[in-house]
Amino acid sequence: MSVHKEMTLVTERTSFQELDNVVFKPTESKPTSKWYISMGISLFALSLGVVSLGYTFYYGIGMWGNNNPVGWGFDIINFVFWIGIGHAGTLISAILYLFRQKWRTGIARFAEAMTIFAVMTAGIFPLIHVGRPWLAGYLFPYPNQHNVWVNFNSPLLWDVFAVSTYFLVSFLFWGLGLIPDIANMRERTTSGIKKFFYTILSFGWRNSNRHWQHYEKAYLILAGLSTPLVLSVHTIVSFDFAVSVLPGWHTTIFPPYFVAGAVFSGFGMVATVLIILRKVFDLEHIITKGHLDKMAKILLATGTMVGYAYGMEFFMAWYSGNTFEQFVFINRAFGPYAWSYWIMVACNVGFPQLFWFKKVRNSIPIMMAIVILVNVGMWFERFVIIVTSLHRDFLPASWGMYAPTMYDIGIFIGSFGMFFTFVLLFVRVMPSISLTELKAVLPGSQPSHRHHE
Amino acid sequence: MKKLPGKFGTIAALLLVAGVVLIALGFFADKQRAFFNYIIMYSFIVSIAVGSLGIVALEFMTDAQWSTPFRRISEFLSFGIPFLLLLAIPIVFGIHDLYHWSHKEAVEADPILQGKAPYLDEGFFIIRLFAMIVLWLIFYILIIRNSEKQDETKDYKLLTRNVKISIGFAPVLMISLTITAIDLIMSLEPHWFSTIFGVYYFAGSAVAALSAMVFLSVSLKENGYLASELTDKQFHSMSTLLFGMNVFWAYIAFSQFLLIWYADIPEETFWLEHRMHGSWGVVSLALLFIHFVIPFLILLPGRMKENRLTLKTMAIWLLFAHFLDLYWLVMPNLNKESAFFSWNEIGSLLFIAGFFMLVFKFKADRTNLTPIGDPKIEQAIGLHLHPDISID
Repeated sequence: MSVHKEMTLVTERTSFQELDNVVFKPTESKPTSKWYISMGISLFALSLGVVSLGYTFYYGIGMWGNNNPVGWGFDIINFVFWIGIGHAGTLISAILYLFRQKWRTGIARFAEAMTIFAVMTAGIFPLIHVGRPWLAGYLFPYPNQHNVWVNFNSPLLWDVFAVSTYFLVSFLFWGLGLIPDIANMRERTTSGIKKFFYTILSFGWRNSNRHWQHYEKAYLILAGLSTPLVLSVHTIVSFDFAVSVLPGWHTTIFPPYFVAGAVFSGFGMVATVLIILRKVFDLEHIITKGHLDKMAKILLATGTMVGYAYGMEFFMAWYSGNTFEQFVFINRAFGPYAWSYWIMVACNVGFPQLFWFKKVRNSIPIMMAIVILVNVGMWFERFVIIVTSLHRDFLPASWGMYAPTMYDIGIFIGSFGMFFTFVLLFVRVMPSISLTELKAVLPGSQPSHRHHE
Repeated sequence: MKKLPGKFGTIAALLLVAGVVLIALGFFADKQRAFFNYIIMYSFIVSIAVGSLGIVALEFMTDAQWSTPFRRISEFLSFGIPFLLLLAIPIVFGIHDLYHWSHKEAVEADPILQGKAPYLDEGFFIIRLFAMIVLWLIFYILIIRNSEKQDETKDYKLLTRNVKISIGFAPVLMISLTITAIDLIMSLEPHWFSTIFGVYYFAGSAVAALSAMVFLSVSLKENGYLASELTDKQFHSMSTLLFGMNVFWAYIAFSQFLLIWYADIPEETFWLEHRMHGSWGVVSLALLFIHFVIPFLILLPGRMKENRLTLKTMAIWLLFAHFLDLYWLVMPNLNKESAFFSWNEIGSLLFIAGFFMLVFKFKADRTNLTPIGDPKIEQAIGLHLHPDISID
């Protein structure tokens, strides 16, 4: 009888010293030319966004493609897109932690960092969407002299609470997990200034037994707190649409459908970046093909769930007998924006089905192609939901079309620039893999519990 | 391996007979009401039988270890699936009493129902009803046969084969339960529609099937039918899963409620309208507390997830909650004015209990209660949780 084996989490070269060296290397050596090139591209993209935003601030949001029937355009599409990407990190670090999925250790830190950067990027869009971002402070309900209060009935306000709570908890979770590793870096570094910052950020961590006990407990509590947040944020984003009476927006499956889509797009982005990272920083024995295999399976599962939601929406539009509902879906699939609908279906439901095959899951180039398509597909999903539902609603006299302007596209490119600038800075100053957790899952590092009580 | 006492079978048979008698009397007293009760009962049996097969498939799919010593319990419960072929027959005869859309004159006078006629069609309805059962039966036979064969052959390949079958079962399960929910329950009110409805029934079924597994695991362990090495700690994982699924049910239920209530479109709200007023309003509130608030508060502390008495109580409690949920979905379609509960409704409860006890007994007398041939079983019985997880 063959013995049942779990996945090997770290292949080859498994000494603690070697792990320290390979993980800390990017933070302790001069950046390579590849890093400078990537950073240059990111900063260029970011500056495009800054210029486009500058024009927007100066002339107003008339610079955008938003028009009368389509009042929500790239601003909200990009917001939902980036918030969605921010879902993988917390899912990996909180939910997979509670599910005792040890394979998460290799990728959790990096995914968490991406969550934080994605939510920061997403946060830009509602601010600029309001048109006068300098008044955004009023989004927070506080007793003020003007007696101006927010509308507590509006899901747009719930968004403010949901997203800021999510950011705060994810940030704490990430920061807490970093403490032991930063303490480790504090001991290793020779540079005075680095030592100063790492000393502050490590909060006096000395690896004492008591520190570890508090740490483990706090980690568990934060994991428990983050778990409902993974669901709540995108649920509330879905409410932005679903509480309306607009066909194509108002449908009851939206909350779980958005959450599944968010996890899907988050994993798509994490996989995209991890495939590059493991190659560039020589981490192929830590972020193994086994990890990518599991991520592909999650992509397959969530992609199929999203497909189920597409199917349900279509079926219920017909079943409802409501002609407006029926029109919206026929217009989506065969109207002027049909191309975007079919891009969405192909990228989100079609291509991920290739992950049924082990060969596909184990081939890095094919996987890379599919995860990029997933990112594309999920962006188009938001485009389809927002634009196709708005551009033709109840009254044919008020129908219209939507096209982004170069400023819309500039801001969109700029959001990628901002995200990747943060990612690139992160890999230079922080350990992108949680070493303490990784060491705990190395073979031989755990005392065996195979005895009877 | 210890056998279940004969008394168990006698009680089960008595419950089943009492249930059949009450149901039969119900048909004489009020045929339409009896058919509505029958729909509740049938949906409940589908929840447990098919949901249990889903739990078995979930273990294979996720390569879970902790559940292996308890897997047979769900496997035995899923033996209810073959009997669905018989249990579905009365529904065929009740279509006219149950479903407004089956009356030709009603459809002719109603353009919306005419639009739905291709789907809400008697013949197609019956085909779907039995096609779903056949689908479940195929996967039941494939999965359970491999699992039982492994007890003798201890062949590793059977495990990998079951993993593949289970992965194939996942989308089938989701779609078939959705169709079941739409056909049997949602179409009782043919004008109403909700895209989340299939997920709602799926979540409720998962809670019910897990509750049944938790109750039986704890009871069997207490009476020495399971491996003596198993400790109360091992109930932690399954009760966490139950807790999580129940929160998921609440999340789905809340999403459906909030979106319909907030948008306030007459085509949808009428379904909630009569559930929110009068005595149905009381039932709705009771459902909120019985299905979610109380179990949530009780099962939240970590040590409660290992307390045998709490677990047994909450498992039975949640099984009742699922029954109440189905009652809340089905019965307001019969009488929108006020809630009602009498001996007519008891029959199906007795039948369900007797039915699953007999199904379980039949399988338990012939099959090992522990999948001894599973390569994961030794590790699973000695499984210790990682210390940082099991603290509470």
